[in-house]
Amino acid sequence: MRDVLLIARREYLERVQSRAFLMMTILFPVMIGLLIGGSLFAGKLSSLGKNIAIASNDAVLAHQVAAEMESASTPAKAPEVVAPASDADRRALNRRVEDKTLDGYLWLEKKADSLVPEVNFVSRSAGDLFSARGMQSAVDNAVEREQFIKHGMSGAEIADMPRHVDIQTWQIRQGRLVPSNSLKSFFGAYAMMFLIYFTVVFYGMNVARSVVEEKTSRIFEVLLSTVEPQSLMAGKLLGVGAAGLTQMAIWLMLISAIVGASAGASLRTEGLTAYGIHPQQLFFLITYFLLGFFFYSAIAAAVGASVSSEQEIQQFSMVIVGPLTIGMVLITYIVSNPTALPVVLLSLFPPCAPIVMLLRISSQMPPAWQIALSMILMVLFIWGAVWVASRIYRVGILMYGKRATLPEMLRWMRYS
Amino acid sequence: MPVVDLDRISKSYSNKAAVRELSLQIEPGTMFGLLGPNGAGKTSTIRMMVGMTLPDSGTVRLFDEPFRRDHLRRVGYLPEERGLYKRMKVIDQLVFMGQLHGLNAATARTRALEWCERMEIAESMDKKTQELSKGMQQKIQFIATLLHDPELIIMDEPSSGLDPVNVSLLEQILLELRSKGRTIMFSTHRMDQVEKLCDAICLVDQGRAVLEGTMRAVKSRYARNKVVVEYAGDASFLTDPSITELREFPGRAEFKLRNGADGQALLHAAARHAQIFKFELVEPSLEEIFIRTVGGKTDA
Repeated sequence: MRDVLLIARREYLERVQSRAFLMMTILFPVMIGLLIGGSLFAGKLSSLGKNIAIASNDAVLAHQVAAEMESASTPAKAPEVVAPASDADRRALNRRVEDKTLDGYLWLEKKADSLVPEVNFVSRSAGDLFSARGMQSAVDNAVEREQFIKHGMSGAEIADMPRHVDIQTWQIRQGRLVPSNSLKSFFGAYAMMFLIYFTVVFYGMNVARSVVEEKTSRIFEVLLSTVEPQSLMAGKLLGVGAAGLTQMAIWLMLISAIVGASAGASLRTEGLTAYGIHPQQLFFLITYFLLGFFFYSAIAAAVGASVSSEQEIQQFSMVIVGPLTIGMVLITYIVSNPTALPVVLLSLFPPCAPIVMLLRISSQMPPAWQIALSMILMVLFIWGAVWVASRIYRVGILMYGKRATLPEMLRWMRYS
Repeated sequence: MPVVDLDRISKSYSNKAAVRELSLQIEPGTMFGLLGPNGAGKTSTIRMMVGMTLPDSGTVRLFDEPFRRDHLRRVGYLPEERGLYKRMKVIDQLVFMGQLHGLNAATARTRALEWCERMEIAESMDKKTQELSKGMQQKIQFIATLLHDPELIIMDEPSSGLDPVNVSLLEQILLELRSKGRTIMFSTHRMDQVEKLCDAICLVDQGRAVLEGTMRAVKSRYARNKVVVEYAGDASFLTDPSITELREFPGRAEFKLRNGADGQALLHAAARHAQIFKFELVEPSLEEIFIRTVGGKTDA
């Protein structure tokens, strides 16, 4: 055990103290921040200062649409209204759009035989989706409002009218009704899946790389003369894993500090439950994340032990995380049939357990023994993967050069 | 009782026999040389000695006990294929290695500093390994092997890649360690080194021990049949039928005696004709024995 910790400590420190680690740790959140900030800024920019006119043969409709658009835009900006508009006005508007004194205009044409006006938006740019979306609801609301007024409702009555109804969903848990949100309850599982997927691709592969590095630097033989290969592998897994987790923890802290202002407020009032994560679930999320992370990293270690160069690892990185996608593909089936036999079996099958069991937990709490069994199976699998990796490593390095074939690897298992 | 006792060990890789029924013993406090041409099975033998691989058959005993992994705490092993962590500082690297061998960090650091002084690399303690020359890295590996003061030191080709100055430093240290009672085993191609340092040897060829024993015993197995004569006067004694492979120089001759020839009789005959300054039955060098044993075998 002392050896495992010594190896883990060395691996951890070497990574954490490297310049690349420092750069990535700082640059990644900065990049994310710039990305979020940039897209927000761009969004603001595209909705700002648009000079739009509303023209219609129906003046009431035109003013109502204008009012809707004014109330929807931030900061409030009243569009110019041309009503009642003639064909001459339309030609004038076209000219203004062309010589850029106007960004675009909305042409509403009320026909005598139809309740709904014919609506056209004219602008210079082909796909001004941002303004188009805003206009759509403004026109919808105005037409709706006009109809209500026509049927004798007052403006105040319309304003008081309920426009949106939330459906409250409930779950029965241990005989008690517990509020649930079917969408939010996926959130944890989805987040989990991406978290495991990306950490395995990023950090699990680091384990493989570190194994290959040791093979190419030829230091393993010195190490193996004092340390058991299993301890070496376990130490690597822990050390490289801990470095990855440290980086993620720093990122999470930095990102939540950056996003903090908005998200922090809702977190303080509602806690993580706002995101569909209950304290109990948080426990499972962390546990399954760690199990999943170490499971896939152990497999990556075995891959690293069986190849002879870093380039070869790349080919495997996507294949390794393949089983994770099973959970993603079957997500609706799992959530609606959490007790079906295939789902139960999948949730016990270690490569799929972290995702599938978590999905089950978020939709309907499985029996405790199943959760315990899935965890035990995962731990056993991790241990087994480390064992296999260390066997391949120990024998593979003593006859390095070419990549091992499967029969060779099986033979290595038996060698000692 | 021997510190290392290999009893008829064999090892095959993919149907190729690397070591065949090899036996050898290394006595405590001695320096032992493992010799052999390339691919003879030296490294395979050493790897079984330190438990890196297990023999297919036969037994390995260290310190008079069947091999156990915890024996390795008492062993310093310098493999032929050796590396260091490139991005690690020299001192950190040595402390880490010392700790793996059971030392605590403080002891490991103190000893590492002492050794670095001794090996004349103290000024590089805080450098990263990748900044050092290959010879410097060799020295660090050498220190890492000895840091925990092992009773048994096993080195696979320790002097490969070292310049003559450092080779002699290494030899000096090995001799010192032997005088402190440590047992040392190394493999090498360099016969002069073995001849100078070793108390006993084992010559391996095609996986077999073809020659084993103390240096004296090994040499005595080979007859002293080479003669160097320095003389003045009549050289007719050189036509004696017992002489073969004669090479003549002014006042000097080198030749071999045929099997069964009597050197003493020849000396008497020579002394009757010429004035003899020197008549030496030369001991065969290890190199000659090596070539004779391995080369002869290959020819056969």
